[in-house]
Amino acid sequence: MSKPISAINRYKADLRELFFLAFEQFGLTELLGKAPFDAWGEEEVRQSVSECYRWVREVSGPLNAIGDAEGCRIEGGAVLTPKGFKDAWKKLYEAGWKSIGVSPEFGGAGAPKCVVLFIEELLCGANTAFTMYSGLTYGASEVIESFGTEEQKHLYCPRMFGGQWGGTMCLTEPSAGSDVGAARTSATLNPDGTYSIKGTKIYISAGDHDLAENIVHLVLARVEGAPAGTKGLTLFIVPKVRTNKDGTLGTANDVTVGSIEHKMGINGSATCVLNFGENGACIGVPVGGDTKLNQGMSQMFKMMNGARIAVGMQGYSVASSAYLNALEYAKERKQGASITHWKDATAPRVSIIEHADVRRMLLDMKSRVEGIRALAVKLARHQDTVDALTATGGDDKVIAYHQGQVDLLVPLVKAYGSDQGFRVCETAIQTYGGAGYTRDYPVEQYCRDAKIFSIYEGTNHIQAMDLVGRKLGQAGGANLQAFLGDVGKFVAKNSEHPALGAAVKSLGEAAQATFAASMKLLMWFQSGNLALVPLTANRFLEMMSELAVAWVLLDGAVIADAKKTGLAEGSPDIAFYAGKVHAALFFARNVLPGVEHKAKLMDLEDKTPLDIPDAAFATV
Amino acid sequence: MKILVPLKRVSDPDNANKIKVGAGKVETTGLEWKPNPFDEYAVETALRLTENGTNAKARLGEVTVVTFGPKETETTLRAALATGADKAIRVDTTDDAIDGDLLARALKALVEREKPDLVLLGKQQVDGDANQVAQLLAEYLGWPQATFAGQITSEADKALLVSREVDGGSIKLRVTLPAVVSVDLRIVNAVGVTSMHTPPTHKYSDGVRFAALMAIMAAKKKSLTEVKLTDLSPDTALKIKYTGFDLPPARKAGVKIKTVAELVQKLKTEAKVL
Ligand SMILES: Cc1cc2nc3c(=O)[nH]c(=O)nc-3n(C[C@H](O)[C@H](O)[C@H](O)COP(=O)(O)OP(=O)(O)OC[C@H]3O[C@@H](n4cnc5c(N)ncnc54)[C@H](O)[C@@H]3O)c2cc1C
Repeated sequence: MSKPISAINRYKADLRELFFLAFEQFGLTELLGKAPFDAWGEEEVRQSVSECYRWVREVSGPLNAIGDAEGCRIEGGAVLTPKGFKDAWKKLYEAGWKSIGVSPEFGGAGAPKCVVLFIEELLCGANTAFTMYSGLTYGASEVIESFGTEEQKHLYCPRMFGGQWGGTMCLTEPSAGSDVGAARTSATLNPDGTYSIKGTKIYISAGDHDLAENIVHLVLARVEGAPAGTKGLTLFIVPKVRTNKDGTLGTANDVTVGSIEHKMGINGSATCVLNFGENGACIGVPVGGDTKLNQGMSQMFKMMNGARIAVGMQGYSVASSAYLNALEYAKERKQGASITHWKDATAPRVSIIEHADVRRMLLDMKSRVEGIRALAVKLARHQDTVDALTATGGDDKVIAYHQGQVDLLVPLVKAYGSDQGFRVCETAIQTYGGAGYTRDYPVEQYCRDAKIFSIYEGTNHIQAMDLVGRKLGQAGGANLQAFLGDVGKFVAKNSEHPALGAAVKSLGEAAQATFAASMKLLMWFQSGNLALVPLTANRFLEMMSELAVAWVLLDGAVIADAKKTGLAEGSPDIAFYAGKVHAALFFARNVLPGVEHKAKLMDLEDKTPLDIPDAAFATV
Repeated sequence: MKILVPLKRVSDPDNANKIKVGAGKVETTGLEWKPNPFDEYAVETALRLTENGTNAKARLGEVTVVTFGPKETETTLRAALATGADKAIRVDTTDDAIDGDLLARALKALVEREKPDLVLLGKQQVDGDANQVAQLLAEYLGWPQATFAGQITSEADKALLVSREVDGGSIKLRVTLPAVVSVDLRIVNAVGVTSMHTPPTHKYSDGVRFAALMAIMAAKKKSLTEVKLTDLSPDTALKIKYTGFDLPPARKAGVKIKTVAELVQKLKTEAKVL
């Protein structure tokens, strides 16, 4: 008999770390209590985060393993979510966690993005699959809020932000994955001004479920006669059940679920094949009305930053809990003796945390998780500054600087966050040994759940191409220059630091190497050596991410090192701050030097992957 | 119904570092704090008594929370306001400057000011574990008391049926308000409290309710007043004096016994139980 899967929470978070980032490293307090965050003070931030942590551990966290084991199923053409999801959905919207970033106009709390990021990390880390439904709903509602007509906004946004109706993003089709512009779903104008939608979308997360009364699909489709490629795509609002102007529901809108995927992970999240208009009775209207035809991609692009940051966050949210669980296990599991007694068979057994290699894995996980989170918070802090300056009529140049940093960092957070998130989960399994591979512990599920993050919302190669093809040259290269300039200032200020100076100096070297590599990419673009760009784009993204992560870790460490002195004996902050310093030193000594090495590899201009004939890959 | 709930923060029992032993006083530097769990149950009880459980947002009565402590303890009060309490009072003092008796005397004065129908308390603090404030307060007020409540039913506006947790079972008491009641863990079960406003079939979620985000945001706008301890009790003399603290003696290592005969021998000669 297999062991039953029980409803217990395994999710762990270290809130001290979140509050350090907000209040000690990134100075969130400066923005609080002023427009547009008037309602927010430190106390509200701390209370919301603490209460949300309690909420996820008691409500959605216990459903994580159950949702994984049970998965979704289709009955009578409708998707049923795992046991407990419906009740948790109701409680989620009662508690209001999805309203935290919503503008007060639609009943939200209008929190700074940094705080929204914390709340989302808790929700997602505790139960990634469950959080997909509300995540897609939120994203779709945001699109309507940004680009919809007044009527569309008032019909859809309050209901979607409030969880009464769900939402989806329907881009992918069988022959249009990374190449979104290949979409074939069609839209034909009806005499009444609406459009008839016809086509098949695949892999649609939350494409159908039993959590909300209705589901509002945002569907990329091509109006008859529109240009080929992304330029001819329009974003349509296509509800599952037709909606009346007063919000009451009408008849079914000819949207059907073809099937749901059986997947490696996030099994509680329904990934659907959706058929639109099989019976010629699927009606949609363009987001923003008829004047917004063929603007689907640019509308999507504006929302993409948020979605991509969210996926990077998914990566570290799960990885963080994997690390904290592995840490707990490492303190408890006894195996082997200390290496100092290696000849003595009777030496006492020690906890595995005493073994050097286990400590190496733990610190490796800690530094990656904390570093990537810090980078995401830095990004969110730039967004908050943009919002604060915009609300108060701030200097356009300053706004442009902050927005530039947001745009530049998004592909790093998405791709590095998701890649490393998965790898940290793998390291967590390794830390456990055999137990980690079993379902007695949460890390194997984390690892399976985390793999999707590098694939959806633009595969990580698409992110790398976005970085090298668009972001490096954006604003005439000013964003990259400003970024490297900021790193340079930090290096100049701290390179003689007694404890961290050597690490700070190596940060300066990595920044040089990254700059040189970016010039190399530019040269390849200009000299027609284009083939080398996609071959090295992922590597460059990794280099720049490691530079950025090392920077925010060292920045945090300088702060922690200063705060460490003068604490009362016995204060738990002594260990906390020491942890920040050790994590930064570890990353700077063990990962950061790889940046220079990777730059050297780029100099080699290796093209073997292009040179090898297709037939030479294998004989089968 | 007007209810007054005293609540206090305590050092988190999950604190990683142990309380250090100083002379005449427990060293609290660096400790993490959380609300005393029994006090949280008392707040939950007060909220359940003053609402229709099927529409918990509308308060059908008034819940006032009070704490005795320095400025930082207002966090504990705000948290209670966020779960639904109407107003809060902080009596400015420190843990060292109060004991159970002074607390009960100050609370008596506060009750005379606030005129609640009911004072609900946690049965004890999980740090001091004294379990005496409710009893002292009832005595000083001359009010009826019911301690260790595991179940409360409000039968009419001024009468409660209280089931008290005692050794080997429970005792049911009918209490006429105004009264003092202290609560035990079981009170926050799904059916621990039945208010006259709530349909008897209603079941709560087990435990203490969550604070909704919007309520956390709104808590700042609720009234939180500060009162001086001497305004409530000019006599601030303590009845309990701490003269020193010591850790319990470390346990001595045990011995391994090889045979049953040896065991019997030791039980006879050393333990002297046979
Ligand atoms: C669980 C899950 C949930 C999803 N949810 C949604 C959703 O809610 N809505 C939605 O619209 N979609 C969703 N997707 C689809 C997802 O966004 C796509 O799978 C993803 O964009 C990749 O497309 P593809 O699978 O067709 O792969 P392909 O595009 O076929 O890519 C295969 C490989 O080729 C590479 N590649 C492709 N094009 C290029 C190129 N031009 N240059 C270099 N390399 C290239 C890719 O990087 C990848 O390694 C989901 C997918 C999954 C698995």
